[in-house]
Amino acid sequence: MFDELDPILHSQLRLAVMSLLIGVREAEFTFLKEKTNATAGNLSVQISKLKDAGYIDVVKQFKDNYPQTICKITKKGIDAFEMYVSALQSYMNP
Amino acid sequence: MEEENFSPRDSLQVIQSMIDKTKAELSENSIYFLLWGWLVFTGCLLQYFLLVIIKTPYHFLAWLVIIPGILFSIFYSIKYKHERRVKTYISDSMSKLWTGMSISFMALCFILTNIGWQHAFPIYILFYATGTFISGGILQFKPLQLGGIICWVLAVASTFVNYQNQILFTAAAILVSYLVPGYLLKKKAYNK
Repeated sequence: MFDELDPILHSQLRLAVMSLLIGVREAEFTFLKEKTNATAGNLSVQISKLKDAGYIDVVKQFKDNYPQTICKITKKGIDAFEMYVSALQSYMNP
Repeated sequence: MEEENFSPRDSLQVIQSMIDKTKAELSENSIYFLLWGWLVFTGCLLQYFLLVIIKTPYHFLAWLVIIPGILFSIFYSIKYKHERRVKTYISDSMSKLWTGMSISFMALCFILTNIGWQHAFPIYILFYATGTFISGGILQFKPLQLGGIICWVLAVASTFVNYQNQILFTAAAILVSYLVPGYLLKKKAYNK
């Protein structure tokens, strides 16, 4: 019996963002963009979906007069990520 | 990165590759070990030269070499803090550890000025041991931990020799705990 994969996380870019954020305390939008090779527009849309799901916190602020977006994974996001990995394992080792 | 349906195997690959990208940037740590390693190593040899070969009472002036190191470390850490776009638990732990160690080093300077510098070197070697052993644990880098262990042995052993030779023990301690692991760390970061 396969566990259902969380549709929010079972998307390449959203999963990449969550995988980056799971290992750090917080990361800037530009860091996520560089590591995922995504376009700014696409990344913004996916980050909004993760935020709406409560998986990440997004803080917008100014640094040296430039807008800065900082993303941080939430407790709910960590739990969802761990459940997703657990579900993946059931697929890999049925 | 395209949005598309992908298999569980692809998912695992994405997770693995992204987690690899957030592993601690080792190169940023090797800079401090190499900078302070060379400064203290130079300071030790210079003081030994002034004390044993030149026989000047002003041998302690050799330690003026660390002033550029203090200025560079402050400048570099501010610049790095300003530029960094990601905060990791490892970088935060290293920062806290070495900020604490730096304060202890400075406090020790004042303490030794009051109680006398004759036993300074074994205490400094103990500090190197603690800092590098914990750093090795945080970075999961065995050469640093090994350097820390050797420093503990050198700290105890240095109490059996005179002040002049304690300087050489300190040079050896900094070689095994800062310089050798620093270059290995740099090499590892370069290969990565």
